[in-house]
Amino acid sequence: MTITVDKKTVKNVTNIIEGLGQNPNSESVVILEDIGTNSKVDSIRELTCRALVKRNEHDSLKVVITNKGKGINDMSTIVAMSTINELLALDDKTEAMKVLTDTVEMHSDEEVRDNARSVKALMALS
Amino acid sequence: MANLSIPSIRERLFNTSRHEQTTQRSSNPFAASTFKGNVLTADVFESSTKQNQPTFTGKLKASTFVGSISGIGERFQHMIDSVVKFGVRVKESVVNSWNKLEGIEISFNPLKERMTSTYNHAKEMLTTPISEMFSTGISSKQVAKMADMTEARQLLKDNLALWEAAA
Repeated sequence: MTITVDKKTVKNVTNIIEGLGQNPNSESVVILEDIGTNSKVDSIRELTCRALVKRNEHDSLKVVITNKGKGINDMSTIVAMSTINELLALDDKTEAMKVLTDTVEMHSDEEVRDNARSVKALMALS
Repeated sequence: MANLSIPSIRERLFNTSRHEQTTQRSSNPFAASTFKGNVLTADVFESSTKQNQPTFTGKLKASTFVGSISGIGERFQHMIDSVVKFGVRVKESVVNSWNKLEGIEISFNPLKERMTSTYNHAKEMLTTPISEMFSTGISSKQVAKMADMTEARQLLKDNLALWEAAA
């Protein structure tokens, strides 16, 4: 499928997502989760997940680690790998490791637990 | 040995045209004079006209060329200096104007506020990157500072709809 999105729209969406990721209001995480991570466009989901990881807060990291079909559990390999990459690039991995440990130990879904375990192992090695 | 026969002396005394022909080529005023019967045909004096007309050859030509180049450089330097001085004068003028404005007690507060906001706006414009200044799109800084989250949600929704419609 050929995507014919104009550059201005892409730039605007990128800036809005990045801006919401930097906005100190916690409501911005909810907005990104509701709208960004549920988009049908892989690129939008990817941008959203990366912004949530960069935020490096408990609530934003929970969205991309514990939700089935979002972040590291996304159906799209590109989205999942980008999220993992962003997690590995974090300077302070403390909060991410905490969320990953909680997910491995307490999440109800086995697939989510397995993914979290793999990412946790990767982060421990990096 | 000079020819001192009578015909030759007579010829010298009364028929001088031949000698004049030989001396006319010279610029020496004494060339027509004789010394012990010999005519000085060689031009042993430097011509005054030659000294006033230097020929542009060799080193002289090169030095003239170099001189002209250095002259251009100086002229450019003067031009640049003038521009720099002009810039400094403008800057000083602006700074002095602002200092005067600060010093003047303006009783009409709205005017002072207006002038201050204009100055602040100009200052902000000068510190803003050119790419952002001419961009009509949404910047991440704007969104990061947004206080109204309903507006932010709507903004994201609208722009995502544009992207999704095109995809």
